Formats: sequence, C-alpha cells, structure tokens
Amino acid sequence: MSKIDLEARSRALDIVEYSMKELIEQIERGEKPTLIMPKRTLSNTIYDLKHKMLLLGPELQKRSFTDVNEAKKFMQTLLMASIIYEALRNNEYPTIRDLYYRGKHSIVYRSIDGKRVSENTWDEQRESDSVIRDLEVLLSVLREDLLILSKEKGKVVGNLVIRSGDDTIDLSKMGHGAYSIEPTPDLIEFIDVDAEYILVVEKDAVFQQLHRYGFWRKYKAILVTSAGQPDRATRRFVRRLSDELKLPVYILADSDPYGFYIYSVFKAGSITLSYESERLATPSAKFIGVMMTDIFGDSVFKKIIREREARKTLEEVATGIEDLKPKAPYLSESERSNFIIRAKTKDLERAVELVGYKVADVCMEDKDAKSKIKRKEGLTGYPWFATPHWVRELCIFFNTLSKLEIEAMASKGLKFLADKYIPEKISSGDWID
Amino acid sequence: MSQYDEVYRAVSPAEFFYKYREIAGFANPVRAVYQTIRELVENALDATDVHGIPPDVKVTIKKADETQEFYQITVEDNGIGIPPNIVPNAFGKVLFSSKYVMRQSRGMYGLGVKMVVLYAQMTTGRPVEVITSKPNLKRIYYFKLRIDVNRNEPVILEAGSWRKTRDWHGTIVSVTIEGDWNRAKSRVLEYINRTAIVLPYANIALLTPENEIIYYPRVVNTMPRPPVETKPHPQGLDLEFLSSLVKNTGFDTLEKLLIDSFQGIGEATARQIVQKAGLDPDRKPDSLTNEELLALVNAIKSYDKYKPPSPKSLSPLGEEIIIAGLKRAFEPEFVTAVSRRPSAYSGHPFIVEVGLAYGGKTPIGEDKPVVLRYANKIPLLYDEATDMIVEVVKDEISWDNYMVSLPAPILVLVHVCSTKVPFKGVGKESIADIPELRREVKLGIMEAARGLKQYLSKKIREEEAKKRAENIAKYIPEVARSLSIILADEDSFNALRSEVIRKLTTVVAKKTGVSLDLIQGIVKSVEAEAGV
Repeated sequence: MSKIDLEARSRALDIVEYSMKELIEQIERGEKPTLIMPKRTLSNTIYDLKHKMLLLGPELQKRSFTDVNEAKKFMQTLLMASIIYEALRNNEYPTIRDLYYRGKHSIVYRSIDGKRVSENTWDEQRESDSVIRDLEVLLSVLREDLLILSKEKGKVVGNLVIRSGDDTIDLSKMGHGAYSIEPTPDLIEFIDVDAEYILVVEKDAVFQQLHRYGFWRKYKAILVTSAGQPDRATRRFVRRLSDELKLPVYILADSDPYGFYIYSVFKAGSITLSYESERLATPSAKFIGVMMTDIFGDSVFKKIIREREARKTLEEVATGIEDLKPKAPYLSESERSNFIIRAKTKDLERAVELVGYKVADVCMEDKDAKSKIKRKEGLTGYPWFATPHWVRELCIFFNTLSKLEIEAMASKGLKFLADKYIPEKISSGDWID
Repeated sequence: MSQYDEVYRAVSPAEFFYKYREIAGFANPVRAVYQTIRELVENALDATDVHGIPPDVKVTIKKADETQEFYQITVEDNGIGIPPNIVPNAFGKVLFSSKYVMRQSRGMYGLGVKMVVLYAQMTTGRPVEVITSKPNLKRIYYFKLRIDVNRNEPVILEAGSWRKTRDWHGTIVSVTIEGDWNRAKSRVLEYINRTAIVLPYANIALLTPENEIIYYPRVVNTMPRPPVETKPHPQGLDLEFLSSLVKNTGFDTLEKLLIDSFQGIGEATARQIVQKAGLDPDRKPDSLTNEELLALVNAIKSYDKYKPPSPKSLSPLGEEIIIAGLKRAFEPEFVTAVSRRPSAYSGHPFIVEVGLAYGGKTPIGEDKPVVLRYANKIPLLYDEATDMIVEVVKDEISWDNYMVSLPAPILVLVHVCSTKVPFKGVGKESIADIPELRREVKLGIMEAARGLKQYLSKKIREEEAKKRAENIAKYIPEVARSLSIILADEDSFNALRSEVIRKLTTVVAKKTGVSLDLIQGIVKSVEAEAGV
C-alpha cells in the first residue's frame, strides 16, 4: 500500500472517530444524540456570485435520534459510518454498491402489539447513496477522501507525468488508449507537465478521434473526456489540473441545452451535489463550443433584438446584449441543413430551466412548440446563464429549435475540427466564460 | 232460545287465563319452559333485592318422567318468604291486586306464578309444591296445591310445617310442566345470563337436566336502593283506577280521598280540583255517578301545578352495579355507566340508566353497538327491531363522532326503571316511543359515549406515543453497535455497547414519555432476533 494511501486512510479514520466521539459524549451526558450538518436541499443551495459556483447555504440540519422522523436516518448514518470505518481499517476500497450490500440487513423485533416485524436497514441503493452524501456533509469530506471508489469514467492523455500509488505514469505514452481517471484523484501527484491548456470533450468518441489524430501533441493540450455527464473524479481531476498546473480549461460539448448544462456542472457545480462544488467545480472553465452562433451566426438574434420590446425584455435578463461582438457562422447553409437536429420538447424545457421563460417567450416563434412546454412555477433560470452570451445562444436555440452534436463538426472533417475550429476559437478568444 | 241468541256465562279469572294462556306467554312447549323459569326467577328476585337482601337464587331443572317430556322446575330464593296463611291464595287463586300504592317491581300483580300453576296442572296434572319461611318465623311451612279452575279457589292437597334448625328464610317453589327443554335451553341460558349482567350482587345458579351447572357468583356487595311504596301521582290516573279506588276504600269525603290516595295533593289543591269538577268536597265518594267520576278525572288531570312524581318508588341499579355487572360479563377494556336524574311521563316517574362496555370480550357490534335492554331489571330479549332504545342507538347517535368505527367491540346497556314501564304491545319485550323517555335515553347514551371518546382519544394518544417510541427504540442496538465499532477495541466493545444501549434507552424513554420497560422490551427483542 502506498504511503499516500496510508496517510489518506489515517486522516479519514481520525475524521470519523472525531465526529463519533462528539456523539458519544452527548450520550454519556444523557442528552439526545444529535448530528448537525449543513442542510442538503435545493432551498439551501445558493449560487455564490463571488466564487462563481453553487454552494450549500448556511442552513443547518439537526438530526436527533429521538426525533421519530429522523431516527431511521440517524441509525443509517451511524451504520454507514461504521462500515466505512471498518473498510478503512481493513485497507479496503469499497464502492458505493459494496457499501450498500455491506450495510443491508434486517432489523427484526417484536412490536408493541406483539407482532414480529422485519425491517431492512435500507432497501435500495438510492437510500444508502443518500446516506453517504449525508456523511460527506456531516464530516465535510468527499467520499473519495474516505477511499470509497466508483466506476471509472473519465479519461486523460497528454504531456503529463503523474504518480498514482507507487507508479509513475507518463500520460503521453498511452498508445491508442488513455489513462482512466481514478476514483480517488486526490491521491494523484502531478510530477511533470508540458502543456498550454486543457481541453475537456464531452463525447468519448470525439476524444478518441482527437487523440488518434495527435491533437494534444500538436497543440500542447491535455485532453480529457468525461464521456457524458461528468463524474466526481473527472471534475475533481480537472479542478486540480486547473488549480495546480495553472492552465486554462476549455470545454467542448454538444450544442444543446444538455451540453450547456454539462459545461455548467464543470464550472459551477450541480444542485444535488452542491456541497462538493468547493472542491469539484472549476469556475474558470470556458465554453468554447459548439455554440449556436458557430452554426447560425448572429443574424437571427440581431433580427429579434431589432424589435424594441424584445430587446428590452432580453436586456432585463442580461444587460449588454447590444454590445455583443458580431459573429459569423462556421457552417454553410447546406451543412447546417445536413447536421442540425430538431429540438424536442424535453430540450426546450431544459433550456427554460437554464434561462427562464422570458427568453423563451421573446425568441420562440413556433407557437405549437411553445404550447407544449410544461410551465413550472418560479423557473427564472440559473444566475450563471444570465449573461449576454448565453442569452444570445439560447435565444437562437429557441428561435431555430435546432441542436447539433460535436460529432457533426467532426464529420465536416476531423481536420476542420482539430486544426481549424478548436485552435481558431481558442486563439481568437471566441468562448463563453 | 232462538238460534240468534248467544249463551252468556260468567268465567272465573282462572278459567279465563286457562283458556287464553298464549297471552301470558305459554303458547307452546318451548315458550312454556322459558316463561315458567322467568316467572319463578322474577318472583324470587322480587322477594330479595326489593327488600334489601342480596339474592341467592338457585334454579333446578330435572327430567320428571322417563317417557314423556315432563320437567320439574324448582326455584329457590333467600327472600322474605310468604306468610303461611297467604300461601294458598298466592299460588292458587287468580287475584287482582287491591293495593293502591306504587313501587317498582318485576312481576305485576303476581299473576305470572298462577299461570305457571295452571299450566302445570293442565299439562302434567301435578300440583305446585311450596316451601317457605319468613325471617321472624320459627317454623318452615310446606304446601302442595292445585287450583279449582271453575271456582278460582286453591285446593290444598298437603300442608305441614317443621321447626327451623338453621336460620333459613326464603321460598322454594317447584312445578312440573310438559315442555320442550332442548329447544328452550338456549333461550333460558340467555335469559339467565342477561339477568345476571345487571345483578352482580346476586348469586345465581342454574342446574340443567344434563347436570350442567351455570353459576354467576356475586362480585359486589352494593345493593340497589330498595324502592319505597308511594302513593300514585295524580297525572297517572285513569277512570278505571278512580272507580276502583272509590269502590274499595271507605273515605268519608272526596277531599279526604284525594289527599290520602295521591302524592302531591294537599287541602288547597284538593278543594281546587273538586270545585273545578263542579262537586262538593264533602261528597261521599261512593255516591258519585259515572259522569261525575269522569268530570273528577278530567279535573285531576288538567290541574297543572303538581310537583313531579316522587322517584322514591324507583330502584335504579346505580352506576357501580352496572359497571360491576358489565365487567363480570365482558371483561371490557373500558366500561362506564350513567344513572340519569329521575324524570316522568304522564305522572309516572322513571329513571334511565346506561352502561357502555368496549373491548375485551365485548361482542362485536356490526352497524351499531350491541344493545342490552332492561326494564325494571328484567332483560328484554325479543322484538329488538321495534324498540325505541335500539332506534336511538342506531339512528340518533353518530358513533363516528365518539371515535368508534364500527364494526367494533362495543355494547350499550339501557335500563329503564319506572312504576309503569311503557311497553309496546302485549309481549312486553320492547319499549314504546315516549318523547320524555326517548330524550333521557339519548342523553344517557351520549353521556356514556363521551366517556368512551375520552378514553379512546387518550388511548390513541398513548398508542401513538408508544408507536413513536417503538420506531426509535428498534434502532438502539444498531446505533450502539455502530458507535462501538468506531470507538471501542475488541476488549471494550461489549462494555461500550451495553453502556450506549442503557443510556439511549433512558433518553428515548424520557423524550417520548413512554415507560422504560416498553423500550427495553423492544431493544431486547431486536437483540434476541439478531442472536446477540
């Protein structure tokens, strides 16, 4: 076992013991044992404008064992703590699935009316996963710090030498393959680097094409993929690259509300895991594409804001929309018609979630599609999308009802993507921050 | 005589009843057994509790013939006995009472026992045997009697007496009738059972021909207050009663007759009434014509300033006795009783009493609580559907409002006692719908039901608290184990675990307000199941 691993274990054991000691002291004093932790709810999730990320708010949750509504959760939290503790002691690396099985057993008792009742400590993994998240906020650690593993998803290649466990790995010598980002990215040590930026590609297929093309070598990039929705390890890894290597991070995702959202998860964090943002989010990450304006240019948008009312409304969402730099499309009219896909109602609803109804109302012309959107109370969009750039992007989306996958850019020619689109966007600063 | 002429002949009361025995409840061999036992038991009870003696009543039924369905029915009581000179008439002559006082009792005019004697005579030909003694007498008297039906006179077949060797008083009556015991049995048992429910102060034993002993032992020493004989209330008067009064009492003047025969009439009132009837207060009562009598009745009844009738003539069971009776019968988890204040209808005083049992061995009421009806301590077993009490229980009380969700183990006992219970029809098995009575019944049931509601809501609160405690306590062992894994080593594991369990048990008991035992019980059951 590597030294770094042993140190991590010892730290984690201390944290668990410390927290449980507090509890046993309450019990010894004859008090009701109470766990106090930040409230992990939507209402207590706030967007920190200064740090540009989603964080847990100041609300605390008290979980008392003697509160009948909390007793089971209390028991589950302690049960999970004990399983994790044992795993740390025994030098194991459980996955969240392992923890689910290890803790799942029946509590059998005689109820007051004499019936024999059997109840599971937890039934579905959803429950035990939620308990793990509670423990993370209670102990203010990430589960990776407790040496809990999850499936490896993210990959990386580039001119970067790292140490993982007792091995030194050169990420430029991975052949056609790539280094899988380990679930405990904090145990990775960066040894040597020769790169100018980090490019995160949402799609694994595009990552592989760029890798085989030799993109990272040619442009001195560290190439990362999250293979879809980024997992925690990939986000933490990207964050460490950004923080420790001081390199800019560019995100390349699909040109649709899902792609935009994936970017925002990298940048600001997610609502369900907002307690991790401080360690997982990379606020400096930039969206280089694919942008709606890369497909359509800005003529559609200009036409819309020529109207006074529309301009005024959009100006209320984000001031400065008239000062945006003009933008020419990368695609010709015929390419456009070949590559774009028509947006579905679900895409529209996702987009509304990002920027709110106002933008949709002003920019959408298709009344039929508009009527299909389910209206939910209080959807005003996320603050980090209330910028002139994003308003323009989403306005074009609402107006054209079109989306585009990165693969389409690659099919225009890998050369176009690797040698023109990406380098040109980076060098000209054509990104959204 | 022409063919259109009818032959008219006077019949003696004995002959009348002999011919019309259905009216008295002897319509068939099943009813006959039941009715015989009822008449004798009720007489036995009237001889005891009405006089403040805690009843010891023993009923013995024996097969009396090898081939025929003859049964000897013997009822023994420890009552006040019957004066020996009265015995022949009491059992052998059908009489109308000549008393003009009122008192709550079970039997009316002592008619029933004579019907029993007549019925025995008619079916088996065997005489009635009576053994009796009063408390102050030194001898015990013995009679064997039959009734001369045509002459309505007792015929003494045997009589004798012997010195008391122990301090016994009471009456033993034995008759042999033809009857269908097998089919009457369940009805008789139900009657005895229902009678015993309101007589927890009595020892009641029944010995069947199959040699089964059914015994209801005394469980309380409290006795109902004995009824006091009172004069009738003027509002309950009718022409028949007044005529009989005038004929059979020797008052000199109308004024005296009124003052002495009724409660609540003094000199001034008597004068006012007589004047209103247009009569002379000094008239000799037996000189009144029928028209004058009618005028007097109307004057008496239309006077509206009487005090309500005296309830002293009533003998309610009292709450304690009702509760004791219901407890003995049903071992309910909740029981309450309400004895309403005396009230009156048409000059007859009455008291309504309500008992309510819930849970335990209380029978299940399906669409309404089970209703046990009593009139002057006698159970009413039949004609439930037409009874006003049942109507009130079913239609006028929203049991939901009292937290009773039917079907439920709930029973309502209603006892109506009165010098004149208003029965519906000749069967005397259901109570008539008299507004004053209905109101009292409803108020009584509502009061009892409020008690139940209080109990049930408290119970629900307690159950909820227990359930809450249970839902916490079941996790104590798991919490203790988890904490000990983290904070103890192999040697200290068990000690820490036990200590945490002990402390948590105390904290949970304190916070939920539930007993320590209950929580310990749950914790132990978890450990037992887990094999700790």
